[in-house]
Amino acid sequence: MATTTATIAISSDIADNTFSISNQSTLYTAGTDTGITETTGLARKKVATSSNTVLLDHGLAGGIAQDVTADRSAKVYIKNMNDRGDGTKWVNILLAAVEIGRLYGGDFMFFPWSGGDGKDIEFTCESTSGADATETTLEYCVFYE
Amino acid sequence: MATTTATLTLESADLLSDNLSLSASMSLYKSGTTATGLEQLNYHRAILAEDGDFDLIAESTLLSEKANYVYICNKNTDVTHYCIISINSEVIGRLYAGDWLFMPWDCDLTHATADSSVEIIPKEADATIEYALFHNGETLPTSGD
Repeated sequence: MATTTATIAISSDIADNTFSISNQSTLYTAGTDTGITETTGLARKKVATSSNTVLLDHGLAGGIAQDVTADRSAKVYIKNMNDRGDGTKWVNILLAAVEIGRLYGGDFMFFPWSGGDGKDIEFTCESTSGADATETTLEYCVFYE
Repeated sequence: MATTTATLTLESADLLSDNLSLSASMSLYKSGTTATGLEQLNYHRAILAEDGDFDLIAESTLLSEKANYVYICNKNTDVTHYCIISINSEVIGRLYAGDWLFMPWDCDLTHATADSSVEIIPKEADATIEYALFHNGETLPTSGD
């Protein structure tokens, strides 16, 4: 069994008193305290297209994502490696074509993933003007059972 | 202007043949800005009933098309306890006891059949959830009296 930990630390002066969140979780298989033993490792994807791109293809025969199903544990890390610039360009992260959130340059996300048919993780590069073909680099990693 | 930073650390000494140590840090900025920090925060702790389908973070007009970041943590300790997190009727994943997520949230009001509120379905009674929303303004309900 492997021991993998994910730690988040958020600190802010947004309120009158300093606000902070600190939490650590160990990545377990679903409903157990047995550590997750598989990972894609850290990967990097570079695109320069305004079209939709599949980052993690659940339907890919023999692909890693095929092991990720709704009742299994999987955690996904994605980071937009581009510079933030003026904050008018972002990567739209989609799950099964549903928009989840925008990763601006330098932003990251870490979330559990319930895989299954059609539940690919995709992205599109966008700006305030619409679809955008600026070269964009994402780094990502999946931990799964 | 507020300064809010989020730092993620992923570590394992035995998942791979070499140490895994990944760290990412980001500032939470308003959309369309170079470096203007988000200034508004909601932070909650809730104990939820089993199998209800709740809007944990409700969509609103002012949240739409903006930079929003969500943190959710399942504070239960029984490893079999989990909550299902979804957006626009699309299941993102399961947060097991001790798990947390941090992600941007696209408050997309264009869907006709499903709303973009961040929803939660606790699968055990007394699910204790802590959650935060960093945002750039939300539409509050108008007082009825």
